[in-house]
Amino acid sequence: MDFSFPKEYQLFRRMARDFAQNEIKPRAKAIDRDHTVPHDIIKKAAKLGLLGVPFPQKYGGMGAGETGYCILAEELGRVCSSTATVIGAHIGIAAMSIHLDGTEEQKQKYLVPLAQGTAIGAFGLTEAQAGSDAAAIKTTAVRDGDHYVLNGTKQFITNGDIADIMTVMALTDPSLGAYGGITAFIVETDTPGFSIGTLENKMGIRGSSTAETVFEDVRVPKENVLGGFGAGFLTFMKTLDVGRASLGAACLGGAQAAMEASIQWARAREQFGVPIATKQSVHFMIADMAVEIEALRSLIYRTAWMIDTGQPHILEASACKLFGSEVAHRCIDKAMQIHGALGYSRDYEIERGWRDQRITEIYEGTNEIQRIVVAANIFRPYGLRIPT
Amino acid sequence: MRIIVPIKQILDPSGLSFRRDKERMFINREEWIIDPGSKAAIEAALRLKGEEDEILALSVGQPRADDALREALAMGCDTAYLLSDEAFAAADVSVTARVLAAAVGRLGGADLIVAGRESGDTGAGQIGPRLAEAMGYAQVTDVVALAIGEDGIEATRRWGEGYAMVEAPLPVVVTVAPEAFETRLPHGARIMSAYREWDVPVWTAADLELADAALSPLLAKRAESFPPELEVGERFRGDPETVAEDVVAALKRQKAIA
Repeated sequence: MDFSFPKEYQLFRRMARDFAQNEIKPRAKAIDRDHTVPHDIIKKAAKLGLLGVPFPQKYGGMGAGETGYCILAEELGRVCSSTATVIGAHIGIAAMSIHLDGTEEQKQKYLVPLAQGTAIGAFGLTEAQAGSDAAAIKTTAVRDGDHYVLNGTKQFITNGDIADIMTVMALTDPSLGAYGGITAFIVETDTPGFSIGTLENKMGIRGSSTAETVFEDVRVPKENVLGGFGAGFLTFMKTLDVGRASLGAACLGGAQAAMEASIQWARAREQFGVPIATKQSVHFMIADMAVEIEALRSLIYRTAWMIDTGQPHILEASACKLFGSEVAHRCIDKAMQIHGALGYSRDYEIERGWRDQRITEIYEGTNEIQRIVVAANIFRPYGLRIPT
Repeated sequence: MRIIVPIKQILDPSGLSFRRDKERMFINREEWIIDPGSKAAIEAALRLKGEEDEILALSVGQPRADDALREALAMGCDTAYLLSDEAFAAADVSVTARVLAAAVGRLGGADLIVAGRESGDTGAGQIGPRLAEAMGYAQVTDVVALAIGEDGIEATRRWGEGYAMVEAPLPVVVTVAPEAFETRLPHGARIMSAYREWDVPVWTAADLELADAALSPLLAKRAESFPPELEVGERFRGDPETVAEDVVAALKRQKAIA
């Protein structure tokens, strides 16, 4: 067993960290305050190949697989959850769905611009009545000659208002249910009938946009069926499985940043005539953070390795998202306690981190759904089937 | 045009701390990086590179300097060679310059050699000038702007308190001021290719046909010392509000602000 990162990944981490610390971190506070997607940062990231990290070089990607992508997500998560979310939705679910199930033609036409960052992607699953119960979607796609006509509304779509390309899940045969009745489509957002509804006013990740997207008789060519007719639910679930590992990686970055800020502050802050870093109560909090972060890091990169080597990974990826978001929760919460009243102030990054963290227990499958996925995979060898 | 960039790998100074009372340097985090001067030289070369040009990076060092050369490839250099041999272990600047000159000779010479003005660790600032002497090339040091002209290079270099614009014919050795060339980050895909696809050949003393006499250093280090840190400025401690008030008061005392 060799747990060390190959050298290309070590150099890539240095590059990603350099970019995150120098280009994004100084802007993170303003990105949150102004609720604006930092388009110039996204463009710079694209120029460095960062919008196509996991995808093969022949499709304009970096060729660094899930391991490389988790490194990027971790480094982005350390400095700005908003930027991590914009890039995460673009790579981790939008482009990923085409990478996993697209045809060669679809990859050339859509994955290449997404990987090179000349187009931005979004992933359209959630609807008003279909969140955790993803198969309860109401958006429909009806065949009309060489096209499908899409009607419906997708909600809480990250990048929904800035995306050029969106993968969308729609009902094609309600009588067949999730497996057989749902088809995925690649939609160009300049197609007539596509429009943006309301934008969410969120507690955290305020520099990422979360939009309602409306489909009114949107005509999509039949070549844009993604992953086979009737197999859309499978394509989307498979995509989310992979996305969960990198989501956990972004949480890892957030947790690490919270611990590092706590160490710095505890060394500087003096009470009773000594730095609070000398107090055992602080030691215990830092130790708890450090141990959980280390356990999370092992889980994340082992899962990334499983994905990159083609092994089954549904349980582990779910665990990454579940454990990652909860470790991040506990770490940022302890960091706030160590920072005291200053941590609660809007002027410091701890408060932002605390607001940004909370969504990670909700989006891309709530932690309750993750527990069901984990339990189902744990029970299966014992002959007990739990529907997920 | 063939541009050759000699680069040096150094310990990241941000991972070091100096204990003057113990007369020792401590390595808190051992990370080897491309020397900032060398990185600026790579950047200066990349900015000049046209479609017909090639950039070759060379480094004299331990086997670990392979990483510095692969980073140079990731940044955009076309080829890299590691000059490494146990016989180079005791090299001083004179030996390093001779090894580099031998490698440049083996490569068939260069039109332009770009090096850092000085390295961030030993800081002798001699590699460029010594290499120019060894090769019989022109040399321009401490350059802050560099362009290719009709008959050679056009460079702006520091000149006392100001700057001088100079021209020099090819072949020429240029050393650059690191602060004048903000370096680029390597492209992600090139990072992967630098390790997975591209080779960095190693040339030994034998490959470079360097005899023992050429490898004996002129200098020998006898000791190191760590003089006390210069006391500059005034240190303020306390909570942010008090510190801010004290700083304002001090600035007023010195009539820096009204």
